[in-house]
Amino acid sequence: MIRRLRWWLIAIAVMCVLPLFIPLGVTRLLVMGSYLAIFAMSWDMMSGYTGYVSFGHPFLIGLAGYVTAFLSHQEGFQPPHIILPLYVTIPLGVAAAVGGGMLFFLPSMRVRGPYFALVSLAFMEILHRLVIAIRPEFTGGDRGLPHLPSVVMGAVPNYYLALGLMFAVALGLWFVTRSNVGNILKAIRMDEDVVEASGISTYRFKRFAFLLSAVTAGLGGTFYTHYLASIGPRRAFSVTFLLDIIISAVLGGMGTITGPIFGGYFLTFILEYLRPYLFGQWRLLAYALAALFIVIYRPRGFYGIAQDIVKWFRRKRIGGEVYG
Amino acid sequence: MAKLLEVQGLTKKFGGLVAVNDLSFYVEEGEVLGLMGPNGSGKTTIFNLIMGDYKPDSGKIFFEGKDIGNYPTYQRVKIGIARTYQVPRPLREMPIIEDIRVSTIPDSIIESFRGGGAHLKEIEKIAEDVGLKGRFSMYPHELTMGDLRRVELARALATNPKIILLDEIFAGLTVAEIEEIDKLLRRKMEEGLDFIVVSHDLKALAPLVDRVVVIHFGQFIAEGPFDQIVNDEKVKAAYFG
Repeated sequence: MIRRLRWWLIAIAVMCVLPLFIPLGVTRLLVMGSYLAIFAMSWDMMSGYTGYVSFGHPFLIGLAGYVTAFLSHQEGFQPPHIILPLYVTIPLGVAAAVGGGMLFFLPSMRVRGPYFALVSLAFMEILHRLVIAIRPEFTGGDRGLPHLPSVVMGAVPNYYLALGLMFAVALGLWFVTRSNVGNILKAIRMDEDVVEASGISTYRFKRFAFLLSAVTAGLGGTFYTHYLASIGPRRAFSVTFLLDIIISAVLGGMGTITGPIFGGYFLTFILEYLRPYLFGQWRLLAYALAALFIVIYRPRGFYGIAQDIVKWFRRKRIGGEVYG
Repeated sequence: MAKLLEVQGLTKKFGGLVAVNDLSFYVEEGEVLGLMGPNGSGKTTIFNLIMGDYKPDSGKIFFEGKDIGNYPTYQRVKIGIARTYQVPRPLREMPIIEDIRVSTIPDSIIESFRGGGAHLKEIEKIAEDVGLKGRFSMYPHELTMGDLRRVELARALATNPKIILLDEIFAGLTVAEIEEIDKLLRRKMEEGLDFIVVSHDLKALAPLVDRVVVIHFGQFIAEGPFDQIVNDEKVKAAYFG
């Protein structure tokens, strides 16, 4: 097991000492990268592993964020309500994401393929409109909820918090995907009917994947909201945010754990450094083109490219065909 | 002998097309039933109905005397019905040994985490049994049609069934491959496994089956031993017009 985990341990060690050598601006970017990686892993658990492509993940993330924000919001609030500490509001936010996922996403599994994607997109849009229109005195309406309490203060403590959360989620999901459950989920993505005809209730396993995805989205959504110290409907339910998540997973490699992590960091940095050249609608166009290119030419993303390179080197070294 | 599987008055319509029309037949324990009929006569639809992939418009399906009409597919497999597909459907990104192993993983999240499922040695035994020795770690795209059909059969056997619905198991195989599969099926029959075999290859079908049911446009037209059936006027008319 330790042998299989060694790359994880090396990555954790490197990331732990990184803030000693990099400027604060880059540290903050890495915090954003860690959260995007968490969202991408959450999306990948639902979509990359079971094949149910979700276009409504911000629904789960936003729901968790809004619940913790509403319960911990402290100032200028009408009507007055009980303000709860973060160690209560964050679990409640995660529970809201799980509840939302089970209530809305699970019944949507009756439809497959693009229909599921559209239904999930509708959930995101409905929550977006509800947050603005229904009881804005609770949600802050279009303006959102500012001045939220933070879990920790400062770039470096937030870096370690986001990193710890990201690695905890990654290791948890890694163990799941290495188990029989992971094998079943991968098999469901390949051919759901065949798995059902093997005597396995695919619904049971998909429900579990959806649950894991919702927990991950909830954890990421709550901590991210408190890191930003505010939440607003335009950012939480934007198509750009949705695309950030999906493209991270697709670029990195769907149906893997390391792929979405790499994709999350890569996209955060590339977007930051391309910001002067790519803005507004151009950013969306670049997204669409990158996604098209990857889906057509490299459907296994960077993870697949890395795997091919490793295989090529091994083949060269032992001078034969390598399977697996 | 007791009836293992029985369908009564099964009807399935797709829009205006009646794919299966008031069809009734049964398989007894220890029996191999051949299901014959020209192209498009509804044989695969019947398999899909028995497995629960389609819901019948009317009619009942009994297994060991129990009405299984409301059972989902995985439940039908658990009680002992397995199938192979007419066009093989391997899990394309898995080595075949892993594909076969999926059928043995318990249908429970907790049990699956505990590492349930058949031991690798048992899976290898099943794979070897169907003639896949030396190809355990290969991927579906590296296999011949014959081997893909063997994977289908191995996957069905791994569910520990009482009856297997074999859909065109001989299609696209060489004469030697047909002989091997035939031998294997006979061995399994001796071990007490029942089959419903759908095949266009009447030569391959003849020695295997105890009894044949012939359908045409989803309707029952004849039933009896193979030799009697092939000389039946209605069957000849259905096949040759």
